[in-house]
Order: sequence, then C-alpha cells, then structure tokens
Amino acid sequence: MNLICLGISHQTAPVEVRERMAFSESDLPNALGEIASTNGIREVVVLSTCNRVETYAVADHAGRGLDILESYLRNHFGLDSDLELPFFRKSDRDSALHLFRVASGLESMVLGETEIFGQIKKAYASAQSVGTTSRTLNKLFQQSFSVGKYIRNHTQIQRGSTSVGSVAVDLAEKVFGELKRCHVMLIGAGDMSRTVAQSLLSRGAKSVIVSNRSFDRAEELAGEIGGEAIRFDDWESKITETDIVIASTSAPHTIMKPDAVSDAMRLRRGRPLIIIDIAVPRDVEPEVAELADVYLYPIDSLSQIAGRARKQREAQIRQCEELLASYLDDKGIPALEAPRENFGGADPSQAV
Amino acid sequence: METGWNWLLISTLCFLGGFAYVAISLRTGRYHPSLLNLCIMAAGFIAQCLFLGERGQAVGRCPITNPFEILVFVSWSAVLLYFLLGRTFRLSLMGAFTAPLVSFFQLVSLPFLREVPERRPADDYWLEMHASVSLLAYGAFALSCIAGVMFLVQDGLLKRAKLQDLSYNLPPVTNLSKAITRLVGIGLVLLTIGIASGFGTKTPPSGIHLVLSVCVWAAYAVLIGLRLTRGLSSRLSARLTVGAFVLPIVTLMMLDH
Repeated sequence: MNLICLGISHQTAPVEVRERMAFSESDLPNALGEIASTNGIREVVVLSTCNRVETYAVADHAGRGLDILESYLRNHFGLDSDLELPFFRKSDRDSALHLFRVASGLESMVLGETEIFGQIKKAYASAQSVGTTSRTLNKLFQQSFSVGKYIRNHTQIQRGSTSVGSVAVDLAEKVFGELKRCHVMLIGAGDMSRTVAQSLLSRGAKSVIVSNRSFDRAEELAGEIGGEAIRFDDWESKITETDIVIASTSAPHTIMKPDAVSDAMRLRRGRPLIIIDIAVPRDVEPEVAELADVYLYPIDSLSQIAGRARKQREAQIRQCEELLASYLDDKGIPALEAPRENFGGADPSQAV
Repeated sequence: METGWNWLLISTLCFLGGFAYVAISLRTGRYHPSLLNLCIMAAGFIAQCLFLGERGQAVGRCPITNPFEILVFVSWSAVLLYFLLGRTFRLSLMGAFTAPLVSFFQLVSLPFLREVPERRPADDYWLEMHASVSLLAYGAFALSCIAGVMFLVQDGLLKRAKLQDLSYNLPPVTNLSKAITRLVGIGLVLLTIGIASGFGTKTPPSGIHLVLSVCVWAAYAVLIGLRLTRGLSSRLSARLTVGAFVLPIVTLMMLDH
C-alpha cells in the first residue's frame, strides 16, 4: 500500500483552473465517499481551499491510485480528459513531507500564514465524519498538526505582515489590542483605503464611516463594506469618536492639521488615534505624528514594513526546512512505518 | 553569615538569568514567551520568600528594619504583583522588564545583608501593618513604573513604525496604559491603608515621615486624578509614572528605621 497525494495549487495552476476545481463544503462529503469507495483506494482526505485542491489517499498501488484520483477529479469537475492540467503527483514520504510543508505554511501564497492550518483541520474532520480515514491518514494528519505547530513555535515564519492592509491591522492591534471596539473612518474612497478598511473589519473593527467629496461615491463604498456614509464637511467632527482614520483624498494640499487633531485628542481623553495616510500628495501634515497618543503612518511606512516582512519570511524558509528535516529525523513518520510491512513497496516510480 | 543571604543571592541570580535569557533571545530574534522564563521568575520569587522568611525569623518581625531589607521587600512586592496582575492582564514581557529593576535593588542590598541582624521582636502590630502595607503599595508603584517604561518603549517603536521582535512581544499600548492606571490605583489604595494604619501605632507618623508619605500619596493621587478626569495623555501619564517612582525611593531612603 502507498500513501499518495495528487492536486493542484497556486504554484502549479492559475486561478482560472483552481476555481474550476474547488469543492464546495456541501459537496465534499459525497466526493469523499465516492473516492473512498473506488476499488484500490483505502482512505482519503480532500483539502480544498482557494489556493489548492489536494487529495491525500492510501492506495493499494501508487501509480494506479494517482490515476484514479486524477480521473475522479476530471470527471467530477467535468474537465476534458485531453485537457493538460498541472497536477502534482507524490507518493509515500514525498506525500507526507508535502502535507507537513503545507501545514507549516511553507507552501502558502503568503508564506507562513496560519489560515491553512485550520483548513487542514477542517478537511481532516470532514473526512473523519464520513469515515474515509483510518490508521494511516489519522496518524499522518495528527502528525501534520504537530509539525505545523512545531515549525511555527520555533521559527518566526508567521511573523510580520506582507501586505499594506495586514500591516495596518498589525499596527492597530499593537495600539489597541483587540479591534472589536474600534471605529474606522475613511476620508476619501479609493481602492487602497477600501482594502485597508476591509482588513480591519475582517479582524473585528466595530464600524466604518466613509467620507468623500462625492457623497454618492461615499454611499457606494459604504454600501459595499457595510459602513455609513457622511458628508465630506462632517469628517472633522467625527474624529473624536474614531480610532483609526484612513485618509486617501486626491486633495493637492494637506487636509489634516496638527491643531485640529490636537483639539480632537483633548476630547478623546487619552484614547489613542491611528492615522493611515495613503494619499499622494499627503493628506496629513507630518507634524501630527508628534502629538501624544497619535500614530501617523504614511503609505511609505506601511510599504516598508511589508517589504521587510517579506524579506524576513523568505530568509526563514531555510531555517524551517532544516527544522522540519531534523524533526523528521527525530520522530520519523509513523504513518509510513510498521506494521504495514509492504508500505511504499509498490512501484513508486510511476509517481511523478 | 546568615543562611538566608544565600536565598537572596540565588533569587538575584534567577532574576538576572531571566533577564539575560529574554534580552539575548530578543536580540537574536528567537524570543518566544516560554514556560522556562516563567519558571526562572518563579524560582527567584520563591528564593525571595525564603530569604524574607528566614530574615523575619531572625529579627522576630517583618524584615524591613533597614533600607536594604526594605529594597528587597519592595522587590518582593513588585514580583508578587507581577504574578498576580501582570499575568492576569496578559502583559507579556513584564517579567523581563521587572527582572532588571529587582536585580538592581537586590544587588545593591546584597553586600549589606550578609550579617545576622539584631533581634528586634515586634511590639506594635499596627506599625507592622503600616510598614508592610505601605511597602506593598511601593511594590505596586514599582510595577507601574515598569509598565510605564514598557509603554514608552512600545510607543517609541510604534511612532517610528518599527514593527520588530521587541514590538511584537510587548503588549499593546492601550493595555499598558490601562495597566499603569490600575497599578497606580492599587498602589494608592494600599498606601492610603498604610498611612491610615500608621495613625493606630504607638508613635503615629509625624514630621518628615508624614510629610514624605503624604507627598508620595498626593503625587500619585494627582497623577491618577488627571488621568481619569482630565484625560491626561497616555504618554505623559507613562512619563510621570516613571518619574514619580523616584519619590517612594527617596522616601524609603530618608526614613528613620
């Protein structure tokens, strides 16, 4: 018997292909049942996310098992058998190693991201609930959780944000802790400010106000992100009740002066204020940064932080791989070991 | 030489070790909040308790009979409050910031606490309560000073958009600001009890002792009053809290023991 893995990921397939092969949550239990009932397949787990569709299975024979999985995916998603699809095919130790790398975030689009860990847990739980896992995949997935935690706990792989939106969230969390009581105000309704606002909302920000010279555009954006639109003339009066301001107007001069912010800070009674200035030319006078409890971040600061984090993460890959290798030297891969004496004995050469 | 001194030495080494461990791991970018560091702090605290216990047995009263015992007692109060409050408020790294202050106080005290102290059994329990509760209050002020330093470091890093290892491991500025207010509040309540209990002693506080104690109380009361009623900025509150800690230290050094 062999442990096999077949799939596509953001590294092998563009989004146009990935979106055609995504399993819906409701679809997954049936698919698992169908694959597991195929002759030659003993166990199966399907990991389907926006960046990857991967099937992990225990098959009587590696090559034939991989063919079965590929043919099932083609049939299930109605893909022409002649259509060239960038599947990767792995068997035995390579399959296990791949899963461990995925669980550690080493195969993720945003290196080290933690969401994949939860997605693997969910995929495994789905397979368990329909009874398509047994001894081998149970051991393998349990170990993948340990490996994922071990790598994250012993390296800085998940540290640092690599996009402007997530840097803004990180900074906001280092100022406010949880964002659930934070009110956000957008001054200007550009794409970048929407992205940052959405990042903040996704991390629990309580509300968003949108203020724009064109009130229609403010209403449109507020509708899109579930916020409230206000007239452009009113934004100054709202600063006292706002915790995070994202300024992105196209004004040719600064619109936020130290005196106005200082007055607002007096009314805020010591509660900090974050101002993210995405506009070019800048919307906020640099002197505002000198005020106590005000944290001003021009777009360049955010980009620099994101850039540094990307470099740091890349530098971490080697450390993670060394750590993974030493972990496996130490612990081995129990899912591939005895009592399955014939594990991995069947024609792995057919696997690519 | 008094045997309790060895516990003080061990305690000081633990706090120094804990601080060195965190400082090196932060410098090399490998810091993770770990059980090891907590255990080192706990070991230091236990050794402190043993020192104070043995010293208390030797003097026959609460071991705060000279400025150096008092420094150790204030250090013990600060570590006790760190375990009680710092961890409750999830103020990660507070132990690492507490350790150097405590180590400094204990290093200063170590050479002066080698001798077996003269036995001076307590004959006034109000005095014991007055002194020990007041020193617990000073422990709270010491911890508020530490939280103030942590705030100023984090504030400086965030102002300069320096998201680095230290910044990731320091608590959010809002949490630190709340911790400062709470610790000053706790210290103020304890000091109020301490001063009030002083009037129950056989020789109620008067003269410089009373003036200094009231000055400390008033300084922290004004600080917390401005913070709560006038919205004093978090940065200024932190600076004042750090600066204000000079007052309790000067007071302790000037008291007649």
